[in-house]
Parts: sequence; C-alpha cells; structure tokens
Amino acid sequence: MKKGKIIKVSGPLVMAEGMEHANIQDLCYVGDMRLVGEIIEMRNDVASIQVYEETSGLGPGEPVETTGEALSVELGPGIISQMFDGIQRPLDTFKAKTESNFLVRGVNISALDRDKKWAFKSIKAVGDYVEAGDIIGSVQETKVITHHIMVPYGVKGTIKSIEDGEFTLEDVVYTIETEDGIKEQTMMQRWPVRRGRPFKKKLNPDKPMLTGQRVIDTFFPITKGGAAAVPGPFGAGKTVVQHQIAKFSDVDLVVYVGCGERGNEMTDVLNEFPELIDPNTGESIMERTILIANTSNMPVAAREASIYTGITIAEYFRDMGYSVAIMADSTSRWAEALREMSGRLEEMPGDEGYPAYLGSRIAEYYERAGRILTIGSEEREGSITAIGAVSPPGGDTSEPVTQNTLRVVKVYWALDSSLAQKRHFPSVNWLTSYSLYLSEVGSHLNDELKQGWSEMVQHAMTILQEEAELQEIVRLVGIESLSEKDRLTMVIAQSLREDYLQQNAFDDVDTFTSRQKQFLMLDLILSFETEAREAMRLGAYFKEINEGTEALRDKIARVKYISEDNLSQIDEIKQEIKDKLHQIVAEGGMTQNA
Amino acid sequence: MDHKIAVVGDKDSVLPFKILGFDVFASPTAQKARETIDSLAQQNYGVIYLTEAMAKEIPDTIKRYDAEVQPAIILIPNHKGSLNIGKNRIEENVEKAVGQNIL
Repeated sequence: MKKGKIIKVSGPLVMAEGMEHANIQDLCYVGDMRLVGEIIEMRNDVASIQVYEETSGLGPGEPVETTGEALSVELGPGIISQMFDGIQRPLDTFKAKTESNFLVRGVNISALDRDKKWAFKSIKAVGDYVEAGDIIGSVQETKVITHHIMVPYGVKGTIKSIEDGEFTLEDVVYTIETEDGIKEQTMMQRWPVRRGRPFKKKLNPDKPMLTGQRVIDTFFPITKGGAAAVPGPFGAGKTVVQHQIAKFSDVDLVVYVGCGERGNEMTDVLNEFPELIDPNTGESIMERTILIANTSNMPVAAREASIYTGITIAEYFRDMGYSVAIMADSTSRWAEALREMSGRLEEMPGDEGYPAYLGSRIAEYYERAGRILTIGSEEREGSITAIGAVSPPGGDTSEPVTQNTLRVVKVYWALDSSLAQKRHFPSVNWLTSYSLYLSEVGSHLNDELKQGWSEMVQHAMTILQEEAELQEIVRLVGIESLSEKDRLTMVIAQSLREDYLQQNAFDDVDTFTSRQKQFLMLDLILSFETEAREAMRLGAYFKEINEGTEALRDKIARVKYISEDNLSQIDEIKQEIKDKLHQIVAEGGMTQNA
Repeated sequence: MDHKIAVVGDKDSVLPFKILGFDVFASPTAQKARETIDSLAQQNYGVIYLTEAMAKEIPDTIKRYDAEVQPAIILIPNHKGSLNIGKNRIEENVEKAVGQNIL
C-alpha cells in the first residue's frame, strides 16, 4: 500500500503528506516504530493524525501507513473482568509481553485472548432465519454474565451450519446463507468506536436504578438509561461516589473508565473490587466489571478515545439485553485532551480554550446512553446509564465542561467542598442538586413499596430547605430567637442530615442501604417528627422533648448500622418513640416544678 | 381583629385588674400558671400580664412565647414590690436591638 511521509510532529499530533488515499478517522501506523494513530483532519493530501502513543523520537520523513479501517473495538467473550487502555489493549497481557510496568511503544497486541477456548451453546438450529442482532447462542463468560453471541450488524439470512463445543475466538462457529453468499461467523465482532451501535427504538427511562446510596436513591434518583453528572472540586469525593455506584448499583454490568485521573485510583479499584460481593448476585463484583484505564501519565490522545471505547463496549452488552452502567472519571480530563488536540491543530478556540465543538462532543457521548429496544426480531430491552464525573477547576461550575454537561444530563449531584470539610460524606449538596427523574421514580416506588414514598421524600426535602432558611436567622440573631416549632424543625433536619444523608462508604453495613431499609429509616425519622409535633401541640415544651428524647435520638442515629437482616429492630425503635413521647406529654412539666 | 387581655398571678395581686375589665386568672402554683398561660395562648389573648414573682418560677414558659408574635407576655410587679425581672428583660432586648444599653 502507498505510504505517506511525516512532515511535522507536535506532541501527539503528527502531520503527514502523500495521504490522498486515506480517509478521515482511518487508523494509521505512524513512523518506523509503527505507533497507532487516527486521522482527525484532512487537507488535500495532508493528514493530521492523533497518535495514541508517546511520540518522542519521531521525526519528519518517516513513513505513515493507513489501514483503511476506523478505530474499532473487538467485541466477544473474554472482555469482562479485563482492564484495557484507551484503545482496548489489555494491560495485563501488555505487561506480560513487554515485561514493563509502563507502556512500551509500537506494541501490537489483540484486545481479546485468541488462544482461550470458550464453551459455546447454540440456541438456534440449522435452517432458522436470523437477522442482525438476534442471539444465536451463548457463552457463560463469568459466573454472573452469560455472553450472548449476536448476529453482527448488516448480516441476515438462514443458518447453514452451527455447532456446540469449545471454540477460540477465531474459529468459525456458524455460517449464514445471505443474499450475497455464505458468510462464516466467529464469536467475535468489531465495531468502530465513534459510531453508536444501532437500535430499533429509544424508550423513556422510567425504572429506577438502585445505588444503595441514600442521598442518591431517595432525593436525587437516577433511572436505568438515564445520565448523571457529578461535578465537584478536589477532595469532595467524586471518585468515591463513582466507585460506590460501580460497586453497588443493581445493573448487570459496569464499565468503569478511569480517564486522566490518578493511577492509584485504578489501583484501588483493582484491589477492592475482586474482594467485594455484589449484594444482588452474591458473587465478586469483578465478575461484572470492565475497566478502561487511561491514567494521567498515559498518552493524551488515547484519553480522548477511552470514553468512546468504553461506551461502545457498554452498547454491545446493552444489545444483549443487559442493563449497563458506564462511569467516566473524569470527563474534564477528556475535555482537556480535546482541548490539547484542538490547540495543536490550531483551531479557533472557544470558551477557556476548549474547542467550539466541545458541547456537541459531550452531547454525543451522553446521548449514547438510554433505554432501548434492540434491533433484530427478538426486541430485547437494554439500557445504558451514563454517569460522568466533572472536575471544574476551583469548584466553579460555571465553566464550559460542567455547563455543557448539565445541558444534556437530567441528574446533577453537586458535590460541595464545604460539606466535605465538615466530614459530611457523600458530600452531595441537597439544595443545589437535582434529578429530573424524581416524579417518574417516585410513582414507580409508590407502586412498589405500597406506601406514600414520594410524599415522604417531598416532606423530608421541605424540612431540609426550611432548615437552610432558619440557619440564616440563627446566624444573625441566635438560636434563642426561634420559636419552639422552628427549633423542632432544626432538630429533625439535623437528624435527617446526620442520620440519613451521611453515609460511611468504608463501613461494612453502612456502605450499602437497600430500598426497604431506606424506607424504614426515613419513616422512622419522620414518625419521630409527627410524634414530637403532636406532643408539642398537647402542651409539652421543646426543652422537655429535646432533653427527654436524647437517648432515643441516639438510637435513631445508630439505625444506619443495623444490618439488612435485622430490620425488625427499626420497628421496635418506632414503638419506643411513641411510648417515650406519650410519657413526656403525660408528665407535662411536672418534672421540673414538682 | 380584636384581642383580649389576661392577667395571671397570685390572687392578691391580680384581683384589682378586674376593675379595669381584664380577664383575671389567679394561679396559686407554678404548674397551674403554666397550664393557664398555655391555654390562654391557644385562645384569642394578645397580651398576658404576669406577675414577676410567678415569672421567676416558670422561665421556660416565658421563653417559649418570646419568639411568637402573640401573646405578648408582659411582666408586672406584684403587691409586694418589683423584682426587676421585667425591667431587665426590656434592657436585654434593647441591647439586642441597638447593640448597647442606652436606658
């Protein structure tokens, strides 16, 4: 094939002439070292190529060869529990092959293990008519995930041959007789990362996704197929929130993209995840996790690709009918990679130097999330939930990445550094965060729990908002100036904040709260409020209620540490609240004046 | 809206207020006074005069209505003379309002 010639190297951007035969988005091998790169701009015969590997030592005159193919990922058995880099090279095989802890350049390894044999079980028979997207068989990839083998896009016809047994990824497993001849198929398919995989119909995401995090599930819920953003300054706990959701959300599969953040954070994932047990399946959560790592010291251009690699893999599993969650930590680093490439391309900069197309790129990514009906004759339902961390510099959310993200996502979990400093974790600010799925999730849960869940949530939120107003008065003239009713509101709000919203990610019990327990806990705090207000109406003074229930409120505070198996204890405390407050009313000030 | 005025305290001190047309509630004990004030607060009483001697016994009750618009609880001396509680309260409030005791 005809080769181009490098004329300019500028960091990860290489320009080559004599490339008139190449097309935009083609994958190229650059230089004598054969570094992997992608064409991002063409002017006459000059191609601008972003190189996914370190480019030092590269010089003008070296050859550039295009493959004529777009940057694609390999999709097939062997993908789960793996850790890939931004262009889907498995990092453990990479390390074994290069015997280095760091990325060595010019190494070409296939994304999926070609030698491993997988036990394939067919569900379709010879003579069946299949369309693209139909499942023809499956491989039990891990204990929890059955990898369905689907007919690749663009293929339809009758099955000519299909066999069960042990196969590698390169073996022909089935053949299909199509209009243009017989096509041999393996268990693996390829898909270009920059193109969303097709689906039949987009559905309204209205089923809640349980994350086990109280502040999220109760006040700012996300649905399966929704999109959420977690902006927050350094140290506010973005990564912990992302990890918690990756660990405990009730989805079938999690794709975790570590994009431009510290390498240690990915190490944490590698250390913690295999030991954690998924509360929904009882197996290690690594069995349902795919990791994509492009840490801050890895090449910038691959960071740009890592997000697309991640979501393409997520789409592949969505097409099997799974609900998938994809976390990206953090999309700001990804946007910075875009900015770096854009700067080197000498494009006209937009806000804060970000390229003018930043908004459309962010939207393109988040729009690939959703609940859909798959293509093919079976119409399975699958979903992708996209959760992106954003790291606005200085915590100022008016910057372009956050603003463009908020334009497309419907859930906003604002992490607050002042809460984090008070050791209130997760530091989701309940006044500025929002979820536009609240009413859908509320009506769904009202049906499921058969009790007034959404009213409870609404009421609790009102108390928290009232507290914020009262706090201002207290700061001005002191707590003494509040009426008894307002002081009780403050006590309830404090209980909501400390006993309900605060959640310790590092406590074995508190780290995950089931929906039932969340309901009981919230119900307990609100029933304390009802009883206390009733006592006040019957003549008890705030001071008497406050002092009389001190031990009781301590018990409420400890409810979060009651394990999921002993939830009946919560009902006992509820009864205790009733008895205690009746007693206070009965005494009615006698204690101090007797 | 019209409001009524009540006077609460020991019988000897409050009885003369009846001549002026106020509602008079004699309370021999602190407990009784507390209950009286709480029930008056529920009714249409805008001002409650309370004797200082009695107020000394039930500071919580007075505090409770400090932050409410009504009723206003005004402390008055009883027939044995003033304990200065009422005046101190006014001075305290003035200090809170203007930052200095100007009285």
